[in-house]
Amino acid sequence: MSPFTLEAGLGVLLLVVFVAGLAARGSDRRWIGWLVLAGVAGLEALAFALSPVEPAPGAIFVQDGLALFAKRLFLAATLVGVLCGLAPAAGPFARRAAEYHLLLLSSLLGMLVLASARDVILLFVAFELMSIPLYVLAGFAKRDGTAVEAALKFFLVGSVSSAVMAYGLSFVYGAARTTALAGVARAASSGDPLLILGLLAALTGFGFKIAAFPFHMWVPDTYEAASTPFVAWLSVAPKAAGFVAIFRVYFEGTGAGAFWGPIVAALAAVTIVAGNLMALPQENAKRLLAYSGIAHIGYMLVGVAAASASGTAMVLFYLVAYVFGNMGAFLVVEAVARAEGSEHLGAFRGLAQRSPLLALAMLLFLLSLGGIPFVAGFWAKLYVFWAAASAGLYWLVLLGAILTVVALFYYLVVARRMYIDAPVHSGRIRLDPALTIAVLLCVLGVVALGLWPKPLVMAALRVAAPLY
Amino acid sequence: MGGVGEERRSLPPTSNDPVGLNAYLILAALVFSVGLAGVLTRRNAIGILLGIELMLNAVNINLAAFSRFGGDLTGVVFALFTIAITVAEMGVGLALVIAIFRARRTVEADRLDLLKG
Repeated sequence: MSPFTLEAGLGVLLLVVFVAGLAARGSDRRWIGWLVLAGVAGLEALAFALSPVEPAPGAIFVQDGLALFAKRLFLAATLVGVLCGLAPAAGPFARRAAEYHLLLLSSLLGMLVLASARDVILLFVAFELMSIPLYVLAGFAKRDGTAVEAALKFFLVGSVSSAVMAYGLSFVYGAARTTALAGVARAASSGDPLLILGLLAALTGFGFKIAAFPFHMWVPDTYEAASTPFVAWLSVAPKAAGFVAIFRVYFEGTGAGAFWGPIVAALAAVTIVAGNLMALPQENAKRLLAYSGIAHIGYMLVGVAAASASGTAMVLFYLVAYVFGNMGAFLVVEAVARAEGSEHLGAFRGLAQRSPLLALAMLLFLLSLGGIPFVAGFWAKLYVFWAAASAGLYWLVLLGAILTVVALFYYLVVARRMYIDAPVHSGRIRLDPALTIAVLLCVLGVVALGLWPKPLVMAALRVAAPLY
Repeated sequence: MGGVGEERRSLPPTSNDPVGLNAYLILAALVFSVGLAGVLTRRNAIGILLGIELMLNAVNINLAAFSRFGGDLTGVVFALFTIAITVAEMGVGLALVIAIFRARRTVEADRLDLLKG
């Protein structure tokens, strides 16, 4: 099989959606969403049917284990994201469904190429193909002043970080005299200061995209103002892509245990502390999840700082657990917000009495995010800490463990609202079928990984091993 | 894009170039700094966009200089891609500025203080 199969398939789907958008009539074009859903589900099935291809020497586009693992994850996240974006009948999302899904799929195409890129130019182009549609999607409700303002903020921070990253990559090219990551790895062993400068500047760019601490400022505003189905996807898929790009450039490109290890460890520490502490006073559910998401990025960076095959594998496992837990939590926020018209935490009061199953699903997601045993997040945190400990980063493990307790506090505040506080309104919260399926998929992921993490851990270890 | 070293076309020798590689790198660093300063201090969204444009142009100066003095064309190809991406990015940026002007009747970034951190 050609390594481009998935990308070609997605390209065809993009064309089909484009033509469907041209042919569509009327103000309710949500059927295009179903078309996209079928296409993405087909691509996901194809991704599981494919097997890794041994890369040709000097290939700039590889379909190795890591690429395939990442692509399955991106497609799964997009599947859930498209499912929960199907429902809103009113407003721009029904009328401009073709545009919305075209942008979503373009960004997905960028992610798929990014996962396979082993050349600096291809990596940068794919990174931008992923990023630019996100700015448009954040401001998709273009009559809504706050959404457009959040989109502009997101755009400005994002494009400044891209510029810094491109500046860094230009030095990488200058020092290595080649754009192939294999050549960069050879040059890195000589310790050229120009190359180190370039890689550090590029790390700043990646830090912005995954929203590590000093570069996180766009996250809460964008999450609060943009539409929730999009935010659920934004909070997981591009972050996962950012981590895969980091693995490509900093592990495959420069070899493990290089100069940047302590820098990533410090970045992880401040991200965990800042994310968790800033989440504490939040009263808006989406802002709370935004800051808790920043903290999770910090935990994943702990695994990156370990700079080992097991560390990388555990970050991949963490990403999968985070995709299901975090998207699930956003989906419940969306369900509650549709019924109550509010994303404030107060809207969750007495949810357990009104819709016990929805409250149970939210509780599972929160426990997974908090890292309680027998849901996915517990194993994710445990494995990442274990990898960091075996790399000798005991201080980082201790810090992370302490702040996990802090994190439990704000997750349990939401649980208390749902289970102990009396409801303000009565009556069940109605979920439409698409959203129900999306929530169920996330519950299934969180519980299955919590009870039976071994197959995924083994798969992650298998794909991470060749990087070292 | 790299990989096939033998087939690469090399550029004419640059040994008689009166200004060296470092001069170009310093010029790029200056342009980049001016752009970054513009991004951080401008209150007008259009001004910030101009700053970003300058930063990306510094990248192109770097790439062209490395390509010229390193004697291979990959850097020029990289610069072409950077230019195309910059255009796409600025298209989206200007569209967002127009959208925010329609919604708010201002492009003064008075609430855009997040880059000050």
